[in-house]
Amino acid sequence: MRATFPHLLHLDVALGILYPSLGIEIVPPPPITQKTIEIGVKFAPQNACFPLKVTLGNFIEAIERGADTIFMVGGVGPCRFGYYGQIQRIILEDLGYRVQFVLLDHPRYGVRSFLSALRAMTGGRLFLPEIVRVARLSFAVLRFTEELEAHRRALRCQVRDPQELDRVIDGTIEALRRVKTLRELEALKTSTLEKLDALPRNGRKDFLKVGIVGEVYIAQETRVNFNVEKLLGDLGVYVHNSVSTVEYILHTFRPLTRSREKLEAWELAKPYLKRFVGGEGIDSVGSTIRYAREGFDGVVHLYPFTCMPEIVAKGVLQAVSRDFDLPVLHLAIDEHSGEAGLVTRVEAFVDVLERRKQEKKRGLKRNGSLSRS
Amino acid sequence: MRIGIPRGLLFYRFFALWKTFLEELGVEVVVSPPSNKAIIQHGLVYGVEEICFPVKVFLGHAYTLLGKVDALFIPRMVSFHKNEYNCPKILGLPDLVRNLFQVRSEAIIDEEVNMRDRGIRGWWEGFLAIGRRFTRDDWKIARALNRAEKAHREYRKKLQEGFLPENLIDHRPVFPRREKQVVLLGHPYLLGDSYINMNIVQKIHDLGYSVITPDMVPERTIRKALAILPKASFWTISNEIVGTAFSFLKKEDQNVRGFVHLVSFECGPDSLVGEVVERYIKREKRAFPYLRLEIDEHTGEAGLVTRLEAFVDMMEWRNAHHASHLPTPSTP
Repeated sequence: MRATFPHLLHLDVALGILYPSLGIEIVPPPPITQKTIEIGVKFAPQNACFPLKVTLGNFIEAIERGADTIFMVGGVGPCRFGYYGQIQRIILEDLGYRVQFVLLDHPRYGVRSFLSALRAMTGGRLFLPEIVRVARLSFAVLRFTEELEAHRRALRCQVRDPQELDRVIDGTIEALRRVKTLRELEALKTSTLEKLDALPRNGRKDFLKVGIVGEVYIAQETRVNFNVEKLLGDLGVYVHNSVSTVEYILHTFRPLTRSREKLEAWELAKPYLKRFVGGEGIDSVGSTIRYAREGFDGVVHLYPFTCMPEIVAKGVLQAVSRDFDLPVLHLAIDEHSGEAGLVTRVEAFVDVLERRKQEKKRGLKRNGSLSRS
Repeated sequence: MRIGIPRGLLFYRFFALWKTFLEELGVEVVVSPPSNKAIIQHGLVYGVEEICFPVKVFLGHAYTLLGKVDALFIPRMVSFHKNEYNCPKILGLPDLVRNLFQVRSEAIIDEEVNMRDRGIRGWWEGFLAIGRRFTRDDWKIARALNRAEKAHREYRKKLQEGFLPENLIDHRPVFPRREKQVVLLGHPYLLGDSYINMNIVQKIHDLGYSVITPDMVPERTIRKALAILPKASFWTISNEIVGTAFSFLKKEDQNVRGFVHLVSFECGPDSLVGEVVERYIKREKRAFPYLRLEIDEHTGEAGLVTRLEAFVDMMEWRNAHHASHLPTPSTP
């Protein structure tokens, strides 16, 4: 068996640690490029949401590299993601690819198929102590990749040489692929944080702060969202991303594990959106309110074009933006998004935030209070 | 008390149920008028630009009722089938109306009806919560729901017999039956609103065909046909569309000549299940002609007519050349 899986930022690093120890050979898809997107767009339903197309591209590219088994997870809705696997399986069948499609779905769609998929995905060795150890390690690695990305977003506007910052972080992520034990991971963590601390700073303190909210794939996968966070960082903006795969996974297994972050965001969203509407719709609303309270200057809302939960969030966010006086930039991403247009919009957004900040400061000096209450 | 029901989305499914239930509770029910240009314009102006056309239409209807009624009736129909959902936009519909039009929270009846996990209990508790807005007498609510369900069953039965929602709601004339038939797939709020679907049923009828809609197929038939999928989707109405299509795939019914799938451009569920329908039709030996018509506020009527006419030509040609509907054997 040569198994493959979809890309999601650094998920391949964690799975690259997990799978060899389960005795399963993996063929990770090549990194997402324009070609991946073109392949996905060619064979996917025209109006499907963008992540379905990109992950289909991943699968086909991996099959061409010799993968014969696909690992994919399902879902219970109402977001379309939970049905991706079924659609992709049908498409690959019609294209004539002879691959085994292992789809781990919620046990409510059949306990037996759930167990057999789980067995296939874990090599039937789920509860061996060694496997538990490696599973913990790979989850810790995934968590650390997210911490690294958080540092990258926060520091880009503060260091003198952003390229050096990228070198340190990318170097650590490469090194993570070879980590064997939790102790090695800890050592790598310490040394990386020291390196980040040692990076010369540019001394700026009054940078703008922008939060990113949105759909879990598009808001994180910098290879398809035109790396909006780097773009913002290069414009001198401090960026925080509320979206996280780790939180997503933890939340999936509630009530066994639950993500406090997410529950808090849901509570905050209640006055505007009373219930879960699938995907990350309610998280986008809650996180925007949290950013407003934490004094952020603006929020960028990233989602796939036609994404159902995020469109509901977008409608609701208009009221949040008005009530909290917080500008929100909505960016819908799909294969037709052009980089130039997106860059222009982000730059204009940052200009608006800059001007608002200066006006507020001037108003503060004149009146002793904010000009806009 | 005057309660307004916007004429859109699930209204076409639950018209009889909602109206009877509210009236039994002593409420005056106001339904927004049939769609027209002005109503839709409101939805386009105040809606979110990327939201699907039927939601914009719904928002337009909700807007026209504002100020004319004491409260809007937008129950949160999370699920009306075990283990399934409605689309996220229907889940968030009351919040959209509240936030986009800045309506007070009390002025929207948005109690949740959710059968997903708890089946009929979720249904009953939802309507109980709605009823308690108007009365403290739970028996009265139970009686009202009982009568409403009876009206609902009659409404659904009429639909199964071939009536369209507009025949029953607005007493529009019924089209006479034709021998040749087209399976017209689509959500009830698209097929039921002849203004936004540009009179598609009439147009198909004028071209010499009757339509069979998912509302006309018994639920049991739909669910049975759906079982050929390893996993059906989690959207009830989309499942009914797939099940309807599948129930005709294997039938040797010579009168059914093709499938037309009417979808709104940004419909999430149909973007996936439409693909399932199309691919499963193509896999069959008798590959029915299939036409997907996408509509939104920019769709022109002329283009729709042209495509329908071309499709009818194709069905006629197919029928004449492959009377058996089987691929001709490749004999020399």
